[in-house]
Amino acid sequence: MLVAGIDIGAATAKIVILRDGEILGYAISPVGYDVRLAANEVSKEALKNSGLSISINDFDYIVSTGYAREAIKFANKTVTEIICHAKGAHFMIPSTRFIIDMGGQDSKAIELDLEGNITNFAMNDKCAAGTGRFLEVMANILQVESMAEMGPLALQSKEPCHISSTCTVFAETEVVVLRAEGKDRKDLIAGLHKAVSSRVAAMASNLICRPDAVFTGGVAKNSGVKKFLEEDFKTKFLIPDEPQIMGALGAALIAQTKLIKQT
Amino acid sequence: MGNYYDELFKLCGFEDEEIKKERHRIEASFERLGIGPEDMDTADSWVRQNHDVSLEGVRKLLGAWLKELIDLVLAKDEGKKIVYFGFPAIIGPGLMLSASSEEVFVSAPDMVLDHTMGQIFNKLTPILEAGETNGLPQGHALCSLWQAKIGGIAKGMIPVPDLALASSYYCDMGSKADDLVNALYGVPIAYIDGVMDSKWGEYPKYLPERVHYLGAQINQALEKAEKILNIKIATDAWERSQKDSGPFRANLVKLVELMRADPVPISICELELLEALSGSSTGRGIREGIKAMEILLIELEKRVKAGMGVTKKGAPRVMVRLGHTSDPRVTRLIEDVGLAVPLTFILGSWGGVKVKPKGNYNTPGEVIADYEMTGGYYYGTEAQIKFYEKAIELMKLDGFIAQYLYNCRPVATISHAQKKYLEEKTGLPVLALEIDNFDSRAYSAASLRTKVETFAEMLKAKKQH
Repeated sequence: MLVAGIDIGAATAKIVILRDGEILGYAISPVGYDVRLAANEVSKEALKNSGLSISINDFDYIVSTGYAREAIKFANKTVTEIICHAKGAHFMIPSTRFIIDMGGQDSKAIELDLEGNITNFAMNDKCAAGTGRFLEVMANILQVESMAEMGPLALQSKEPCHISSTCTVFAETEVVVLRAEGKDRKDLIAGLHKAVSSRVAAMASNLICRPDAVFTGGVAKNSGVKKFLEEDFKTKFLIPDEPQIMGALGAALIAQTKLIKQT
Repeated sequence: MGNYYDELFKLCGFEDEEIKKERHRIEASFERLGIGPEDMDTADSWVRQNHDVSLEGVRKLLGAWLKELIDLVLAKDEGKKIVYFGFPAIIGPGLMLSASSEEVFVSAPDMVLDHTMGQIFNKLTPILEAGETNGLPQGHALCSLWQAKIGGIAKGMIPVPDLALASSYYCDMGSKADDLVNALYGVPIAYIDGVMDSKWGEYPKYLPERVHYLGAQINQALEKAEKILNIKIATDAWERSQKDSGPFRANLVKLVELMRADPVPISICELELLEALSGSSTGRGIREGIKAMEILLIELEKRVKAGMGVTKKGAPRVMVRLGHTSDPRVTRLIEDVGLAVPLTFILGSWGGVKVKPKGNYNTPGEVIADYEMTGGYYYGTEAQIKFYEKAIELMKLDGFIAQYLYNCRPVATISHAQKKYLEEKTGLPVLALEIDNFDSRAYSAASLRTKVETFAEMLKAKKQH
């Protein structure tokens, strides 16, 4: 039984291949302009990583998720990324009761019951505050190679700056002013991480954060955001291995369930 | 001989005779609105895509909106004294003015433009853009209803009114936007100061002082209207207006009863045509709406008897605040993911679970104030939330979608309080969802679909358990 889950997000495409319930391989690649091309490319890479010399059309069942889920013509079914992230995180850490997922363009807070069913959720609206995009923009201004590399720098700060703007564009201006005032780069970076975390905490204010809390998505690779989330939510956040593929993994698990039901 | 718009008007429930009789008015209003033969294909497919035109009642409702549009556009040319009010607002004073003189045309022009230039012709955006360049710029969290009203005047599509009835009773932008209408066009304003704030735990036993105050405000606005319009408000104007619009409300009660069926017989998109008409028109639109509803009720009774509906039987049932006024695709999405919508807040407030007026008042303003106080919308956060709570049993609800416009303070604030209260008190899930109900330019289909689809799956799973 060979199934796959593909997650075409705002910034990256992810795919997970499962054979008989075991993860055979996965791949992550930038989306670029053409989402269909991105889906094909990431699929080829995952097939190669899995040691499979077949085509994507040879799979028994594929579920697509993410913003471009409807555009993936080789998928048998589409499922929302909120459901897939919950499914993936619960599979990796069965004690998961609360998830913060931060991707390139959106962030989500998800409450789960003991069986892994979603009981409540919140997702950001149009604003990029509290998403990976916010940190990417700031990494560029502060000349840090990548968003993930900002995390360790943030952890070194003794006195994080206060970033008050909620808007990414305005926050950029605020950082430019603080930089001109000679603020330490580490304090600026820590301030930005704190701001991102507080936006997400505000978004999730109507939800109940029960342990175990899990942090997923590309931003979960950033240790600075994790630290401030733990301060804001007053709980430890667990991070699964390769947190960026939880949506694709969840989609693959749903594909597996669908296939079993069919047969 | 037919004309290029005949097929569209027939699609919108006009009879051949009506088109013939109305022909010169249709053409005059189309010229003012910039509608020509090139718009007919778009309008035809837009209407078919957005509405269940297999129902004659729905076609007639669209026709009622078109008639209201024509009357609005030509009101000045036809010698009417024009009064505009905002939506949502206290419609009572408008109804009384309308009932007092045939010379007076009273309407909520923003809603008329949304439902016709938006829902029928898909040409609302240039009007909103005109509003943006005439004092209500984009990116300033300003309501699109006011952009439509000022944009419509600025483009010469709708006439400059003789009077604006301004109330900040519910909308906190209304009186400020009317100040702008005054500054731009010199339109006199009759202000009705609101008494929105209320203590938690007060509803439905609202304080008589609030009725007295609001009543006095309405009375002075009516007196000002009498002077400016040079009319006399008839002593029986309230009774007459109630008699005129009474059948509409009576039919809404019947409709709410039909919406208790599983599956629900009609979409929220069609319901929206009805509920908005009841809060926007005081003239021909509402009278034609009554006729349309009578046809629609018969059609829906047949659907209910046959077990027909717009969603699957057993679909989770959610109450939403209100449908999209200019682009039904946005609210249709809720049904597309398998949720049934048996009730909206506005429909419920007219035809559903409201408390009765106390009825111990004599002046016109107080009678209206007493009446409006019962509706919840005009009362405060607590009344609104409790209104939703009451609807659970009536409509066998499984959850709520508490939409909010980010730029509408009363609605944006209440949606979060509503989520917290209803989830804690009733255990039913609530999705607090940002939708601009008046402007689909601020609409992210992908994000909206993800949230609504997830919520639907959550409710389905809960129902199965």
